[in-house]
Amino acid sequence: MVDHGRISLKGVNVFYGKNQVLKDISLNIPAHSITVIIGPSGCGKTTLLKCFNRLLDEVEEARVEGEILFDGQNIYAPEVDVTQVRKRMGLLSQKPQVLPMSIYENVAFGPRIHGLQNKKKIDHVVEKYLRLAGLWDEVKARLSEPASRLSIGQQQRLCLARGLAVEPEILLCDEPTSALDPQSSRNVEAQLLRLKENYTIVLVTHILRQARRLADYVAFLYLGELIEFGPASEVLTSPQDPRTRAYITGEIS
Amino acid sequence: MLRQPLSADIRLKRRKRLDRAFHCLMLISASLVVIFLLLILGIILGKSLPALKISMITRTPGTGYYLGQEGGILNAIVGSMEITTGATLLALIIALPGVIFLNTYLKKKSAWAELIRLMLDILWGIPSIVYGAFGFLLMLTLHLRASLLAGMVTLALVELPILARSVDETMRLVPSELKEAAFSLGASRWQTATRVVLRQVFPGLITAILIALGRGLGDAASVLFTAGYTDRLTTSLLQPVATLPLAIFFQLNSPFPEVQQRAFASAAILTLMILAISLAARFLGRHLGRHRIK
Repeated sequence: MVDHGRISLKGVNVFYGKNQVLKDISLNIPAHSITVIIGPSGCGKTTLLKCFNRLLDEVEEARVEGEILFDGQNIYAPEVDVTQVRKRMGLLSQKPQVLPMSIYENVAFGPRIHGLQNKKKIDHVVEKYLRLAGLWDEVKARLSEPASRLSIGQQQRLCLARGLAVEPEILLCDEPTSALDPQSSRNVEAQLLRLKENYTIVLVTHILRQARRLADYVAFLYLGELIEFGPASEVLTSPQDPRTRAYITGEIS
Repeated sequence: MLRQPLSADIRLKRRKRLDRAFHCLMLISASLVVIFLLLILGIILGKSLPALKISMITRTPGTGYYLGQEGGILNAIVGSMEITTGATLLALIIALPGVIFLNTYLKKKSAWAELIRLMLDILWGIPSIVYGAFGFLLMLTLHLRASLLAGMVTLALVELPILARSVDETMRLVPSELKEAAFSLGASRWQTATRVVLRQVFPGLITAILIALGRGLGDAASVLFTAGYTDRLTTSLLQPVATLPLAIFFQLNSPFPEVQQRAFASAAILTLMILAISLAARFLGRHLGRHRIK
């Protein structure tokens, strides 16, 4: 197990009503690397991701127990401002969800709500992050068009740029390529590999090949339990637990 | 072996006959709707033709207007616009924060939200004469006289549930993923509501406002006791105000045929105004949604 992580979970339990979906998860997520969470559908991968930026707060009957430490600070402590927690973690969801405004405004949205007003600075931010997401050249001529007119792959990269523009330290990605065509998926994967220099990335996926391409560390979840966690080379090639082995060889899915 | 295809054939024929019958029925009911609309428009326009002069909409009633002398119903046209615009604005100011609260601050299955929606639905169903009586009582308690203000408040109560529930329905259709996207960027509930949700529902909001406006314009019962009536233009909130539905009502009661014709002319003007609002609602609803996420 690798310790010294930016995010560490201590005994996290999550309930939906009476139903327990995550059981006593303890985990240290290392900084500046890609940690991939794998596991069969319904094992709690997305729930785990939504714990990190407290999106579970919005879910009916969801209850979180335990501690999630982010740079030593428990993000579930009562004095913590949830908007500040979320500002430090960008989210890339399964289906790209652009905001009902122009391409430019989508990227400018985050910086604006966090107080940036200077037009020149916003212009600069928009260009910087559209470039970082590898979208600038495709959209620079039509920044004022509705974002919903972009192709789905472009929308996902726009969401990436939008998330990066609030200058988070962590990127949470929930099967970010599952709605995309192969070309766009490769494009998004390439951006993620470049971004791990400066960001801590947590990626949920059900595609094992994607995990092999991207992961530095792998966590295997099964029925709400963390079965195995470690460097990708170890977990994906010589898993210790029989359940992990069964999943990786395709016996359970 | 032989009966099987035969009975299938009969069943097929029966199904086709049934299909044709229902097709006819639907065609008839659809044409009836169109026929009624054209009939109403035709009769009202036809009846009002002799009285439809430009002075109807440019002049207030002169002396002896109700006996067939010169004049128009400018007082009621302007009065109706004043009272309905005011009432709609008032209803919007009350409804919008409430609906935003229901949809972004409360959770989706909140018992509170359901209770508030139920109450709005009940309010929607209450006949407007009851609102009129309520407004009248309120007026007496506050020692107000029949006035633009009293009528406006009463009409706002009539429009409130219509406006609130229409906006509420469009807001409920906003995907929760869209709200989550804004939340995950660190937006507060207020920022999410005003900068994302309102933008997404903007066309629906405009349509809802226009529907409420149309409803308010045509409502007679709520203003009967509360707004009063006047032959002059209303320039103050505390003066009584004329409205088109009451203008129709008073003129239709007249024994003079010229005045009755003017009642139909007033009805035609009111109908055209409402028609214009409905068309505007359609047009705006279609063209304001440039940035909407589908």
